[in-house]
Amino acid sequence: MERRLQQLFFALSLFALVLILAAGWQANTPSWKTYQRSFLQIEAQGEPNAVTKAAVLATPPEIHQVLLSGLQRVDRCTTCHLGVEDPTMKNAPEPFRYHAGLGPHVPSRFGCTICHGGQGLATDKEGAHGNVAFWPNPLLSRDYIRASCGRCHKEGEVPGVPELTEGRHLFETQGCRGCHKLDGVGGSIGPDLTGEGANRRSPDWLERHFLAPNAVSTGSAMPNFHFTKEQARDLTYYMLSLTNEEMGSYFSSVRLIPSPEYGRQLFVEKDCLACHAVGGAGAKTAPDLLGVTKRHSIEWLDEQLVNPELVYPGSSMPEYDLEANARKALVAYMATATPEDVQLVLSRKTRTMTPEDVAIEAGKQDFARFGCVGCHGTELQGGVANPNAQGGEVPSLLHVSDDYTKDEVIAIIRNGRVPPMDNAAGPAPPLYMPAWKHVLSDEDINRIADYLWSKQEKNKDAW
Amino acid sequence: MNLIREIWQSIVRRDPLSTDKGKSELVFLNVWLHIHPAKVKKENLKFRHTFYLGFITFFLFLILLTTGIALMVYYRPYPPQAYQDMKDLQYVVFMGPFLRNMHRWAAHGMVICVFLHMCRVFYTGSYKKPRQFNWVIGVLLLLLTLGLSFTGYLLPWDQLAYWAITVGTNIGSYAPLVGGQVRELLLGGHSVGEGALLRFYVLHVAVLPSLMILLTIVHFWRVRKDGGLSRPVWKLKGKKEELVTIGAPAQTAALQAAAASKDKTYGLMEVVSGKPIFETVTPEEEEDTVFSYPYAFVREAVVLMATVTTIMTISLFLNAPLEELANPAKTPNPAKAPWYFLGLQELVSHSAFLGGVVAPALMVLLLLAIPYLDRNPSRNLADRKLILWLFTIFVVANLALIVVGTFFRGPGWALVPPWVHVVGGTE
Repeated sequence: MERRLQQLFFALSLFALVLILAAGWQANTPSWKTYQRSFLQIEAQGEPNAVTKAAVLATPPEIHQVLLSGLQRVDRCTTCHLGVEDPTMKNAPEPFRYHAGLGPHVPSRFGCTICHGGQGLATDKEGAHGNVAFWPNPLLSRDYIRASCGRCHKEGEVPGVPELTEGRHLFETQGCRGCHKLDGVGGSIGPDLTGEGANRRSPDWLERHFLAPNAVSTGSAMPNFHFTKEQARDLTYYMLSLTNEEMGSYFSSVRLIPSPEYGRQLFVEKDCLACHAVGGAGAKTAPDLLGVTKRHSIEWLDEQLVNPELVYPGSSMPEYDLEANARKALVAYMATATPEDVQLVLSRKTRTMTPEDVAIEAGKQDFARFGCVGCHGTELQGGVANPNAQGGEVPSLLHVSDDYTKDEVIAIIRNGRVPPMDNAAGPAPPLYMPAWKHVLSDEDINRIADYLWSKQEKNKDAW
Repeated sequence: MNLIREIWQSIVRRDPLSTDKGKSELVFLNVWLHIHPAKVKKENLKFRHTFYLGFITFFLFLILLTTGIALMVYYRPYPPQAYQDMKDLQYVVFMGPFLRNMHRWAAHGMVICVFLHMCRVFYTGSYKKPRQFNWVIGVLLLLLTLGLSFTGYLLPWDQLAYWAITVGTNIGSYAPLVGGQVRELLLGGHSVGEGALLRFYVLHVAVLPSLMILLTIVHFWRVRKDGGLSRPVWKLKGKKEELVTIGAPAQTAALQAAAASKDKTYGLMEVVSGKPIFETVTPEEEEDTVFSYPYAFVREAVVLMATVTTIMTISLFLNAPLEELANPAKTPNPAKAPWYFLGLQELVSHSAFLGGVVAPALMVLLLLAIPYLDRNPSRNLADRKLILWLFTIFVVANLALIVVGTFFRGPGWALVPPWVHVVGGTE
């Protein structure tokens, strides 16, 4: 018995040793090491002599990672995707192929997952590509990858991604904010969309959802907006670009694309034509800007925009405190600016808006943005069917001033209203006016009332 | 050569192990081994008497200490780095997954073994006089084990951890008057967050393990001082186990004043004990004892290696779960407490106050009080029918509730059998 027990003890100890060795072997043979060996083989092929070949092949395996500490991201993708920044790997097989067309977005600075999704921390294929349980962001498919541009480029147009601009425009004009919150503004009937792009929802799901909300999410209160296929895709792009992460401010220098279009926008906004002219069109106080990019270097112009007095002592040009890409955009616009274009800018400028016009315009935008148009119509015509409500439909707002004072209308918008019923014994009408005081500020509500009243007066004249 | 022998002899002072004196000295000249008696009763070494559950629990604790310290090297107790560290363990730390798996499975194993150990001690009646207080210490060790497991559950900072601890601490807040405050003290706030993670970490790596080690020492010490392991019930054969302990005045005869002898000095031992403190040893029982070396030690060594290899084998093939990063805005449905608290959660789902406060408080108090409530001195199974039934019902009810809570509860805590798949439960 005692002898047996001693033998058992030694056998078990031996087994424990075997287990430790097995665990060590398991830990020492990860798939990424195999990938690195194959990559070294490819690299060694290009070496001219045996000595350098051997040196390349002797490179010890190691984890490559890009630390994006501001984003709490660690991307280890380049542990296997070893050739992404090496143009000589243009024709190499995946996962070693060179990533062409990245422009300034080099992986060693930006990582990979901010565009591609996936699990940057992982070092095996399944885990890294994110198609595993409990990872909310699998790799984005090729069809939708451009949506990721919107994660950083939140302002202005993104060249090559019209879907984003269009999606953003649809979001703000179709009344999405009436039900959905985005960055703290909007209703609470639907889910908050602030981090929608980081949720585990496939692009396919989103797209089908926009085409027919009830088909993918049973019982959803979201109405069918009868979007076209293109519109559904635009909105999907926009949704995918919404993340909680402060990507834009992390890469603050790339928030804006230094495109000439954005430069033109700034040129108008900052009213450069108050002093400058382009080819004679504009004011004569400051130098004519036609061909200015040929007379001076880009660095010189950039410096001029940062600190005019340093370049031209005594210059009366103010410091505009523009960020680097805004300055680049302005310079890019100046290189393309023509007198004809500037004439166009000048002609628009003469039509100035009064503060009242601005308020009415803002009210009109709120009316669209927060979904009022959904029931009351884009032209205030009403007419959406509402069984058992008085008149059987949502009322037109073109004659509100006949029945209500402005304050009464403001109160109705603030507190909501249940429409009076045709048949008191019948079922309640499905549509009703919700209370907006928790969604809209008083200022917004006043503007909407202003907008309604601006429409009333015109109508009265026609009456 | 002489120097080597001198060094060896300065370390090991005992006689050769071939002699009985050497075997005894191996035990009592060694600080680690002297918690054992030099000789043990043969029948106490029998596997089917104790199943070595106490040892297994202790060895699991040793595994947890070593793997836990190794894990501390890679862990930062603040969100969301804590979760990132889990991923690093999984993907880049050498043998990281193995380390974490061992810690996780040993922890679950310890909860199970400590419970089984309690059942064994109960069914053999080993909590009876003079071992009452060691039972109380044992119950405290059970609570500490649960506390360690519970605090460790939060540390990976994933959805599983976050919501299990949210649910678990909510159960605690049903206690009247102090419940809310205790929860706030534990969490360092009103909800599970940074403060909670740091507090749980401190409890998990410093406070609770220290208490555990202290009470384990007391527990082992008392096993010795209360007369060693209890004799197997089948050895009792109707005769009452007679025990004499220090501090039990009713059973100690007045010390005989020994006549002072000129050629004998009296040590402290002879002053404190008139009679041996162990179970009374008759000459024929003396025949039944063997030296701890090698009989007890080889068995303990086998159990140690069996425990280690079992945990290692499981850890090689079964990965510890890690879900998504903790997200306070996204409640899984149903959110479940750690499995050993699911019985409690099941009770809470029926009545928050009765199930969350009264039932667990009564359970703990009754467990602590068992040796003092059970006045029946007999350890024979036949004499203890009522209390055996009561305890069995307690054990089965606990297990049944845990099983129901784990496998039969779906979204909204609705009764869903495990073979029915619920679609879209989390949306």
